Amino acid sequence: MMAPVALATQPQHPIESFDAARYPDARLAEVVGFDPTKYLGDKGLRTLDRLTKLLVVAARLAMHDAGFKKDGAYVSSSPERVGICCSNAYGSLEAITELDRVAKLEDARYINPSKFPNTVANSASGYVSIWEDLRALNVSVSDGNCGGLDAAACADVYLDTGRADAVLIGGGEALSEALYLAFHKLGALDERSSCLGEGAALLALEPMEAAKARGATICAQLVGYGTAFVAPESESLIHASAEAMERAITFAIADAGLAAGAIDVVASGVSGLARFDECEMKAIDAVLGTSVAVAAPKAILGETLGAGGAMGIAAALAWLDGAPPAMLLRGTAPRDVRTVLVTSMGFYGNASAVIVRR
Amino acid sequence: MRFPTYKLTVSALPRVYITGVGVISSIGLGKRDYFAALAEGKSGITPVESFDPSGLGRTYAGEVKHFRARDHLTANEARRTGRCSAMTLAAARMAIEDAGIGPDALKGPRTAVVLGTTMGEAQILESLDHSWIKSGPAGIKRALLPKYGSTLLPIHVARAIGAEGMVLTLPAACAAGNYAIGFAMDLIRAGRADIVITGASEIIQELQFSGFVRLGAVAQNRCQPFDLNRQGLIVGEGAGLLVVESEASVVRRGAQPQAEIRGYGLSCDAYHITRPREDAAGSILAMRDAITRSGITPDDVDFVNAHGTGTKANDLAEAKVMKDVFGDRRVPISSVKSMIGHCMGASSALEAIACVMTIEQGIYPPTIGYETPDPDCDIAIVANTAQHGPSDVILNNSLAFGGYNAVTCFAKPGKLPPIAA
Repeated sequence: MMAPVALATQPQHPIESFDAARYPDARLAEVVGFDPTKYLGDKGLRTLDRLTKLLVVAARLAMHDAGFKKDGAYVSSSPERVGICCSNAYGSLEAITELDRVAKLEDARYINPSKFPNTVANSASGYVSIWEDLRALNVSVSDGNCGGLDAAACADVYLDTGRADAVLIGGGEALSEALYLAFHKLGALDERSSCLGEGAALLALEPMEAAKARGATICAQLVGYGTAFVAPESESLIHASAEAMERAITFAIADAGLAAGAIDVVASGVSGLARFDECEMKAIDAVLGTSVAVAAPKAILGETLGAGGAMGIAAALAWLDGAPPAMLLRGTAPRDVRTVLVTSMGFYGNASAVIVRR
Repeated sequence: MRFPTYKLTVSALPRVYITGVGVISSIGLGKRDYFAALAEGKSGITPVESFDPSGLGRTYAGEVKHFRARDHLTANEARRTGRCSAMTLAAARMAIEDAGIGPDALKGPRTAVVLGTTMGEAQILESLDHSWIKSGPAGIKRALLPKYGSTLLPIHVARAIGAEGMVLTLPAACAAGNYAIGFAMDLIRAGRADIVITGASEIIQELQFSGFVRLGAVAQNRCQPFDLNRQGLIVGEGAGLLVVESEASVVRRGAQPQAEIRGYGLSCDAYHITRPREDAAGSILAMRDAITRSGITPDDVDFVNAHGTGTKANDLAEAKVMKDVFGDRRVPISSVKSMIGHCMGASSALEAIACVMTIEQGIYPPTIGYETPDPDCDIAIVANTAQHGPSDVILNNSLAFGGYNAVTCFAKPGKLPPIAA
């Protein structure tokens, strides 16, 4: 996982991902001091954009942490049996906007062909498969903030149907001037508590029997998933739906075969956008009651969009491993956290939920 | 997560059917016009009108000239959508009408929308970029921002039809359509949906057109897959949407299925971001996987819809796949990209619809512009004029940039036994 190590607000941490000098009030949670050469060496990085580098590093860490690789080589499973299912919300805006700029200010004839592939939405995970040699399947998921959780659901289907022995699930998003300006213009960064973030989180998902058979350290079990969509009515289609979230949680609990009371703590998607946060809390209250502990990892990580759900699952793994849930919005988490609900609210009336158990 | 119940309780995989299709293409709107044009060998490749490409030295594309959003969308929908979403929604409505589903059957959590694309609303982003470049941050039009994002394609469709299940976009380069159709089948087999509106859409836009030209991949004015003198691909656009249903849903409403989705194979080359593996190992794996998962053998396959982009790298790799999988058996293969160009994310969805029509009519669409056989592509190309032939089982190849390989298998309903679980 490549996550922000600090809430980078200027001037304490000058923004590195783009020239932010003209946005002195920008609240951004950046992966500070990100140096991909530390993990990837210095060859072949020139044409990769920031999003790709974040994801490739996260994949390399995950492949080694899961024990599929040692010192860069496969020691368990094989390239044909490991895949990736990766969420990203907005693609490489950095690459697209720069090539647009070249075409507009210079001439379209000067577009660098080696950077052109970066403009398609699945390019980053395409590069991950090349760098990490993942050949079973490569599926990109684009579902805004819900993508990180939806990628887990997709991978579950692929594993269940025997398409791979293991799938890296998660997502990535990279800060760029275009992304900042878009959210700033939409007023999404006006609220003091909201903050745009970036990062990449990938987790190795495999069937329990397979993990046991290869003697892997099992961090947690994904036991339930739910998603729902309630049609937006507003002209812009931007829509916070408590009803969709309520259904997503209900479906996830039913999918896991659990009672609502089994949830020890919620890794919510609460991000500081009042309208969305209120709906999410309302849905949690409706299904789980008002006393369940609710944490907001985004208070530390910022809104990492396509990576958000995966960051939530990663936080849940830390709690299941004994770390006390940080950034609790309310309630107290039990000392022994066994079951975590991870939730994500989409911007267009959609919502997803995943349940992680020890 | 819980294992889907079918694994535990049934001996055969549930069948999944295509019951309706909708098409926006450069050679016709709606499946009848589209397939009639394909069967005639009509080309939709014409000079680009939506922007001025003359400085690039390449000026032709499979551009959709006769699509008017307001013919299919309400004024509110047309205002909210960019060209890509508008085509998607229009094709979805056609597919739903073709399936004869009443609005009530689509409403609720058991209907999902799973779509593919590579860039989605690329024109919206371009317009935002241009105003930013021209006038700085203050020039960015706030009202345009919510129209961008490939996330939106299924949202527009789900909103319009009252679907409340999963809404998902799977960008998988130029294999996106097959990835979406395959996952739609999975969702139904896993019991997570009864009906899935699926398919893919893509629009031509200046940056992406220029990028393909700069890669040296684009031909002058025609696309000649498998021809010795091929010049490369021609960029195209369009939307192909399908209604995919569970057998129970088909029986419940007495619908007439048009094709059965038997299965699909996936693989990733993990090799190069724009070139396929020269030994075609990844593509071979995907096609073999599709065949095995569909409960058939290579001998059952009547026809293959080629990825057939008209680039040397693709054509040679695809010919190797055919040789490897079918050996000496010369299975007819054809590329509709010779007529509609390479519609990128939308291509395998539009081509899946051509497969559905081939199953219905027993007509293999031709590969037009085929003049000089390439000795390295010694395969049974349906050259220049359509052929009639058996059409019980068809494979649809997509072997995309980034090594994204996906092969789908479609069959005539009722022709094949169920697949053992």
